This record gives sequence, C-alpha cells and structure tokens, in this order.
Amino acid sequence: MATKTDFLAILQTMAGRDVDYIVVGGVAAVLQGAPVATFDLDLVHSREPENLNRLLAALDFLEARYRTPGAETARPTYSHLVSPGHQLLMTRWGPLDLLGTIGEAQGYSELLDRTVTLDAGQDLSVQVLDLSTLIQLKEQLAHDKDRAVLAILRRTLEEKGKGS
Amino acid sequence: MAEKTESSPPLPALSTAYSEDGVDLTLIRWMLSLTPAERLEVLQNTVASILRLRGDQN
Repeated sequence: MATKTDFLAILQTMAGRDVDYIVVGGVAAVLQGAPVATFDLDLVHSREPENLNRLLAALDFLEARYRTPGAETARPTYSHLVSPGHQLLMTRWGPLDLLGTIGEAQGYSELLDRTVTLDAGQDLSVQVLDLSTLIQLKEQLAHDKDRAVLAILRRTLEEKGKGS
Repeated sequence: MAEKTESSPPLPALSTAYSEDGVDLTLIRWMLSLTPAERLEVLQNTVASILRLRGDQN
C-alpha cells in the first residue's frame, strides 16, 4: 500500500474535498515547532453527515484500509466514521488515524475554538490543535509515550512564549 | 615550539543547550525558526530517512 509517507498529500486530498478536520497529535506538535518524530497523521474529523460523505470520498481516493491486524482489507464506512472511536488506517500516502473524539470525549466542534490556522505549504491552510491543548490532552492520557513527549511540548511552548 | 596565536572561539556552555529536564533546546529553537510548511517538510524527510534506514522504503 504505502510506499512513501506524505502527510501534506493527505491533507491536500482532504482540503480538495472540503473535509472539515483538525490536525492533532505529533504532526500538530511539529507544525507548531516541537522537534518530535511521528509516523502517522492524526485528524479529528467533523461527524456531521455531509462532512462524513466528503471524508468517505477522500478516503476512497486515498485507498484507505484498516491497518489493524485481521482487518487489512476492510474499508472505513459511514457507520465507523460517525462513531466517537478511532479508525487506524493505512493510505496510499502513509498511516492516517481518524479520531471521532479525543481526551474527555471532545470532538471537532468542541475543539474548534482551541485551534490555530497554519500554512502547511503549497497554499494549504490547516486547522491545528493549539500547543496548550495538546499538552493538556497528553497530561490527561498519561501514557508512557505521552509522558516522554510532554517535556518537549512544554519547553516548545516556553520558547514560543519568549519569542512572541 | 611556536606559541599558538590564534584561538578558537569559545564554545557556548552546554548548560544553555538543555532544559532542566533534559530537553534539547537547540532543536526547539531551530524548529521555531522555520515556517510551519518547512517544519512539515523536516518531519517528512525525517520519517523517510528513518524508514530508509530500516529498509522499509526506497
């Protein structure tokens, strides 16, 4: 399936089909200056019916399939995407996680006012979860992998504060 | 033996490069000096190079 990871191409595909989403996770951290590496793109998508139909069209173009063991040939469906759960997918341009909600059941509409709009290149503007909220969410999760990156996110927020 | 007249500029103190909890601040400052688009490019290149090292990608 994926031969080249290209997060920008996935985001452009979403934008080209007017999909409403928020970039969260490691890519959101990187876009705001945190030197962390991540191998997947995490998006919280709007679960409004019209948006789900646009999202399904984008996923079809991306040749999205589940990457969970035993489900590698399954395609995401409307009923999967309308749920608050997490869909772990592989696309033609790398891993993509679609998250109905994150943290304490926060979805697209709850998170939208905690985003910043950033230019991701090639005339693409993306809504990105702000660094303070990313830190709060990782503090709530308290997984080992989240704790490891928390120190970097906190110092990045500090350094950004010094520069502004 | 001739005395060395030229001296190298002093290296910055390593203590300014790391935060108290061990985070490399030089990487953060470098990333913050880039635009969001450039940061995404750095990430994609990093992922690609790690995958190449692992033999996953050509």
